[in-house]
Amino acid sequence: MGDIRQSLLPRDVLSAAKELLYHLDIYICNLVQSGRQPPLVDSKTLELVEEFILHAPKDRNAPVRKMSALQELQLLEIMCSCFQEQSRDAVRQLIFSTLFNLQGNQADESRMMLLGKLVSMAVAVGRVPILECAATWFQRTHGVYCVRLAQVLVDDYCSMVPGSGPTLHNIHSMSPRFCCQFITAVTTLYDLSSEELTPPLELLQMIVLWIQEDPRLVLITFLNTPLSGNQPLSCLDVTPLGGLVRWCIKAPLAYRRNEKQVRTNGSSESETDAGPLFSALHLSVLQVFMLLPNILSEKGLYGHLALLQLDSVAALTSDLARLLEQTDEHTHTCADAHALSQLALDRLAQALQVAMASRALLCSREDLRAICSRLPHNNLLQLVLSGPVMYYNNIHTPPLAYSPHTAHSPIASHTTLPTLPTHTPLVSHPASHTQYHTQPFMTGVQFPFRPSH
Amino acid sequence: MSAQKDCEFLVKKARELVSEDPCAAKAWLITARTLYPADFNIQYEMYIIERNAEKTASAGRLLYDMFINFPDQPIVWREISVITAALRSDSQDKHAQFLRGLFETLPGRVQCEMLLKATEQCFNTLEKAEMLLLLLKRFPESVVQHGVNLGETLLEAEVSENVETPVNCFRKLFVCDVLPLVMNNMDMRLPTSLMQKYILKAAEFYIGYVSRGPSPDVQIQGTQDGGTLKSPGVSRGSQRYVIDGLSEKSSVVAEPWERLLDIVTVVGARCEWQGDKGQRNYVDLFQRVKELCRYLPSLEGETRSRCCSQVVICTALILFRSAFLYVSAVQPSLFQGQSLLHAMNSGPWILVEDLSSVYSDVDVERAALKHAHKKRKLVDGREKTMSSDDEEGLGKSRGRHIFVNKAEMPSWAETLESFRTARESWDLLYSHDGLETEFKKICAAWKTESWLWFRIFLTDMIIYQGQYRKALSSLHQMAAVHQPQPGQQSPSGQASLEHHRALIQQASCHYALGEYRMACEKLLDVVGGLVPPSQDLNRSHEDQGRTKTRPRRGNDLRLLPCTSRAVLPFCLQLMLALFKLRAFTDSRDDLSLGHVVVLLQFDWPQGEMLFLKAVEKICQQGSFQYENFFNYVTNIDMLEEFAYLRTPEGGRIQLELLPNQGMLIKNPSPALGVELNTLLLQGVQTMDRHHTVTRGITKGVKEDFRLAMERQVSRCGENLFSVLHRFCVNEKIIIIQSLP
Repeated sequence: MGDIRQSLLPRDVLSAAKELLYHLDIYICNLVQSGRQPPLVDSKTLELVEEFILHAPKDRNAPVRKMSALQELQLLEIMCSCFQEQSRDAVRQLIFSTLFNLQGNQADESRMMLLGKLVSMAVAVGRVPILECAATWFQRTHGVYCVRLAQVLVDDYCSMVPGSGPTLHNIHSMSPRFCCQFITAVTTLYDLSSEELTPPLELLQMIVLWIQEDPRLVLITFLNTPLSGNQPLSCLDVTPLGGLVRWCIKAPLAYRRNEKQVRTNGSSESETDAGPLFSALHLSVLQVFMLLPNILSEKGLYGHLALLQLDSVAALTSDLARLLEQTDEHTHTCADAHALSQLALDRLAQALQVAMASRALLCSREDLRAICSRLPHNNLLQLVLSGPVMYYNNIHTPPLAYSPHTAHSPIASHTTLPTLPTHTPLVSHPASHTQYHTQPFMTGVQFPFRPSH
Repeated sequence: MSAQKDCEFLVKKARELVSEDPCAAKAWLITARTLYPADFNIQYEMYIIERNAEKTASAGRLLYDMFINFPDQPIVWREISVITAALRSDSQDKHAQFLRGLFETLPGRVQCEMLLKATEQCFNTLEKAEMLLLLLKRFPESVVQHGVNLGETLLEAEVSENVETPVNCFRKLFVCDVLPLVMNNMDMRLPTSLMQKYILKAAEFYIGYVSRGPSPDVQIQGTQDGGTLKSPGVSRGSQRYVIDGLSEKSSVVAEPWERLLDIVTVVGARCEWQGDKGQRNYVDLFQRVKELCRYLPSLEGETRSRCCSQVVICTALILFRSAFLYVSAVQPSLFQGQSLLHAMNSGPWILVEDLSSVYSDVDVERAALKHAHKKRKLVDGREKTMSSDDEEGLGKSRGRHIFVNKAEMPSWAETLESFRTARESWDLLYSHDGLETEFKKICAAWKTESWLWFRIFLTDMIIYQGQYRKALSSLHQMAAVHQPQPGQQSPSGQASLEHHRALIQQASCHYALGEYRMACEKLLDVVGGLVPPSQDLNRSHEDQGRTKTRPRRGNDLRLLPCTSRAVLPFCLQLMLALFKLRAFTDSRDDLSLGHVVVLLQFDWPQGEMLFLKAVEKICQQGSFQYENFFNYVTNIDMLEEFAYLRTPEGGRIQLELLPNQGMLIKNPSPALGVELNTLLLQGVQTMDRHHTVTRGITKGVKEDFRLAMERQVSRCGENLFSVLHRFCVNEKIIIIQSLP
């Protein structure tokens, strides 16, 4: 394909790019047809793409070809129809990755620029094939770039043009895979560590709606991906669960911080709305966890795959501990602050318990106690960390674990009760009595809420 | 430290949150459930949140979990009974609909189990049956196991609960709901005897349902003379009907006769009845039964008995349906629902002898009557034989024509057809001993002898057959039953008219039997209770006159509207018929002849021919004494004729028509007579001044006659109905006494 370069050179930028796309389509069709595994696009072709579509300078001497804004728009339109018209999935995927897979060279910048514009346009005009390709791109690309692409969309649809949110909203029905990846990228992007990294309310509302409508949406990528087991570390998580859990737990503290800032700045309207949204989102996340036992069992991964990594949970708890300490220092007087802290801890406890029960989080309660040791006291967290009391007063009703079978299985399956997760013997934790505010976890000590007899 | 305390803590926390942040409450409960999956209260709390928010799918899911995991929790059962109650009810309120929707989200197997268990916990037979019925309707495969048992339970309940009528809640469930499920389930093997039992239970119910009387709390005010409904309560009230124990909606049975036919079809198919499988309608059904009946005698053994029961069941249904249709047209106020339909354009109707030939010549009549008596005997002799459909061919009972004013009864054709079908099916049932025995068993089981409406049909049927003696005894019994009750008396006099129905029929029967005096007594009783209608009512009779094209044979019948405008003319005609023969015998009977003359005024000039015959007779006699003449004869033609009779040209007939004449001669002493005399004499004196002076004792009488004549002429415009009504009421004793 390298030989067409001479024919492309004399052309103007747009027609050269157009011509190249045309040849690329044919070339990749043939490549896929040949059945060679894996179909490899040769470096000459990649270079042509960089030169004539991305307009990266081939060498210092070559003149920089640049497209006008109008030409770029025309090119994007051509690309859109190119993907739309190509009926074969494999061909489409290969063209997309030829164009947009990062090569680690200086063309990557313009590659990301063009990708951002193409995906944004695809969202606007509803080009499902492009969104599907982009979903795959998300899966294979380093998280940093994924976050950048997500940022483009959020900027375009949530910040730049107010009221264009509904357009973005539709992507969950157009391409659930893309939507799922988008959520993962967005939750990675906005880690609530600063005001800039707090999701815009419009985006939050959208995500809550998406997940409420179909909680399985957040599992789409996971459900559709044959798990290789060893995902490249730099990639996005296979589900947004970790990010969403982080959002919900940190939100009461993060938004409180924002609120304070806003208060000093003057107006405050959006913050009042965020509370219920996060509450709903948190519930949805727990409901998604509850779906997992069945799904994991079906995939034969029950107890083998941690969708929520212990180390990311650990990072979260230490983050939370730090935040709580900070707020503690600043807002001793505020009763609200205490309630919000407790809300954050309640949510943490709930997320940990439900994730553990659904085997999305693979660890022992002892592990949890370790990572939660710096957190202040919370009744529910205490209960979760110690685990349920193992004997049950009502001897007539046998204890039922949340096995993958209970949810949708026939009655008969109850005869085969799975064994309960073994209760970890309570051991005193070294860090548990170091500080005044930390989790006072001690063997045999009654919880404050349990009235003593 | 106990698990229970933990659970209580978690549930309490959720309860605190639910109103302000339901999502948080749910999050708590989800967490709680993963901690204590075996705790009932946690799951129940989850369910309550979803149920209160009317979230059908999630509430259903949680109910399912509870049903599976906590099958022994009383709270779960209380919940399930609330839901099943909603399923049984026809309430349209939002919560009931939610509960029904909730049930629908459950997997079929769970629904089935839930209903079964809920049924087990029911102690009320009706509720239990309704519950089981829900199960059977949803899960046809359960019909095999539970269908017949449920049916039997309902039939037993009927007995044990001592219900009075076949139209009760148990029977309704059995017939309308259980039976179709059982009958249409071809996986079940049902013995023929059971199916016959069931079809008869169904028929008894449906017949009882259609023929149910008006609700006692609703006053049915029929309309007389086809007037408009004045009572606003009628249209709403008479349609309301509730079977004890059921809701108003489930008390409604749509198209009962069609449903019954459906069952006949299914039973027919299952019992391998002879003939076409699909009985499209009752006419087809009857046709088939008649065919079947023809070769019934040639059958033997089991085939014969099977065929017999087919014929009896089908024919009985046809009989009761046709009889019902006939009676509901003739006596609509007997029935709920029907009353409204018919009351709009017609009241009750009475089957009586047709008397429109009463004005015909006596000799013709006499001959016809003799002939008819002969024929009647002949027919009675061969009563039980089936004959062809040819109405004209045979004697009285076969070929009797029933006249009806078609304008007044728009459905006359259907009514007469129903009557005919009912009679034919009755005849068919009595055409074989085997059939008769079977049919009588059905009647005994259903206690048909207590069905007033059916007795009305039977009476009309035997009247039609000419068995007047039997009809009379039946009418006597009915009259006793059908006394007007004080509460039922409506301002229009409808109730009393209906009471007169039996009297009129009795009069008609006595007349047909030749028992004139009895006939007269009855009809005068009737007339005594009537209010004479206003004058302008002769038009309907003109209609009748016009339809009278072919000569009557004197044995026809008529359906007479039970209104005073129709009844009074009929009574007058009947009276005329009673006296006509006596008046024109060879021996002299001036009283009868006078009555005839009075009665002939009605429907004038229909009776002109007879009147001339009467005049001829008077001329032959040379004299005529009838003291009521001037009281009741106001017809100008007649007055002229009588005035003429006295003249030399008329033959100087001696007419003693003044009441005082008779009184003067026969009874000069009573105070009343003297008074009248002086009154009349005063009149004579005044007349003398204007008219030519006459001489002799009789001259005064002559003047009286003239005076009376002139006075009568001025009375010509008087309401004839009132005059004749007065005649019947005032002269009742004389009239009756003048008959042997």
